[in-house]
Amino acid sequence: MLFESESHKAGQVAISVRNLNLIYKTTVQKKPTFRQALTRTGRKIRTVNALTNLSLEIPYGSVLGVIGANGAGKSSLMRVVAGIVPPTAGRVEVYGQVSTLLSLGVGFNARLTGRENVILGGLAAGLTRAEIEEQFSAIADFADIGEAIDSPMKTYSAGMYSRLAFAVAVVVEPDVLIVDEALSTGDAKFKKKSLEKIKTLRSENRAIILVSHALATIKEICNDVIWLDKGKIVMRGNPDEVVAAYKESLQVAKSSSADEDL
Amino acid sequence: MGKVQIYEPFKGGLPPVIPYFSDVWRRREFISAYSRSELRAQNFGSFFGQLWLILNPLILAFVYYLLIIVIGGNTGSERFAHLTAGLFLFYFITNSMMAGSKSITSGGKLVLNSAFPRLILPISATVISFFKFLPTFFVLGVIHLILGLPIGPELFYLVPVLVASIIFALGTAILTSILNVYFRDTRNFLPYFTRAWLYLSPVLYTVEQLKPALKPISYLNPLYTFIGAWTDILISGAAPTVANFVTMFSWAFALLLIAVFLFMRREREFALRI
Repeated sequence: MLFESESHKAGQVAISVRNLNLIYKTTVQKKPTFRQALTRTGRKIRTVNALTNLSLEIPYGSVLGVIGANGAGKSSLMRVVAGIVPPTAGRVEVYGQVSTLLSLGVGFNARLTGRENVILGGLAAGLTRAEIEEQFSAIADFADIGEAIDSPMKTYSAGMYSRLAFAVAVVVEPDVLIVDEALSTGDAKFKKKSLEKIKTLRSENRAIILVSHALATIKEICNDVIWLDKGKIVMRGNPDEVVAAYKESLQVAKSSSADEDL
Repeated sequence: MGKVQIYEPFKGGLPPVIPYFSDVWRRREFISAYSRSELRAQNFGSFFGQLWLILNPLILAFVYYLLIIVIGGNTGSERFAHLTAGLFLFYFITNSMMAGSKSITSGGKLVLNSAFPRLILPISATVISFFKFLPTFFVLGVIHLILGLPIGPELFYLVPVLVASIIFALGTAILTSILNVYFRDTRNFLPYFTRAWLYLSPVLYTVEQLKPALKPISYLNPLYTFIGAWTDILISGAAPTVANFVTMFSWAFALLLIAVFLFMRREREFALRI
């Protein structure tokens, strides 16, 4: 294991989120420019209540599925838990080492090779070079992209990109693994492989958070599910029940399209 | 791990300063690995490859020398030595500024997906610019020997001038990195800004050639002192004055302090602005 880890006991708290609020202001115009900043035209300030008074405890040993419509606050919650965005109010405590795979981003510089991106991503996350190199062959094996690992990432297909990203997040074997929408790309074979990998990662001294629109996957591997809507928890509990309730709210209970993730 | 990470709202706009900088220090391997990868990638696939690190400054120097010949300035060999020395230092600082402006916005994926002190991105930009600046020492050395310019203990004064320049360059990189997150036009303005800055600095002309009426700009332009001191040491073997050093280090530290302060206050917003 890459992260030196004391064993955690099932039921021990991995993540504690208390009264979490995340509010940010954004201009409606996507790329702010100097001219518009000066003239104050062409933009409206929109206040987004991404998360509202959200409290949540995630114990070790759980695989928590997070579902909800686009814009429900799923990724915002993951970013706060991962320490990327500070909360506006409230408190988050994370007991253990976190690995994140948010919106499929491992490679940040497309001109650099896959290998360089993996090393740089690990160094940015605070690992040492020796620790990364120790795990590198396992990452390359899992991603299974062959010699492309030493090509610039701009030559990668979307599938290769997500394979590598996924490999990094799971090979590192952290105490807390956050996977955001990573299972929805890649070919059927790789999806199956990554699902199997997540299953093997389920253990008493690990907590996994899986954000996905793939409801069948959620039902298959999670033992706890929260349904978020407009920054609030609508429902939490048994995967079958929460997924059923969510599907009913979408009025897609009869349609099989929502299940089509694997 | 026995380790607990706590995420709370920042108080007073600044994250805890000492843990922040120890976090930055822990990421030093990132800075060196990133700089090396980036340098390699920049000339990847070009015919001359890493030779461009020498070719770029040489071609640059000859193009500006051509300009001086055309406009009928002083084209003596010392003039050429002065031009190259000033130009290389000037380009180190403005390259750092340009690279800094892109450092946060182009690191978007990393900023959105990992928690780390963002300051390491503009620091890397300055380190990369410095690595590009290093080969010019070789070029300057060769010119120095060929033209028989003075060699003496005064050359050691280059070291503190260089240190002040690096601190100043880092300050500009951090400042433009913040600016470009909020105003994407910064990147478009910068080439013109640096061009104007070049004309206002004693690179294409010497300090003595400046019209007395324009003298006040020398007090407003920090590069006036940096480049003046740098070229005086190299060309005439003249040691900088104490006033020169005070000016340079005041500019360098003041800019760095302001830039780091603004950066640390704003960096939590970066993930929301990219």
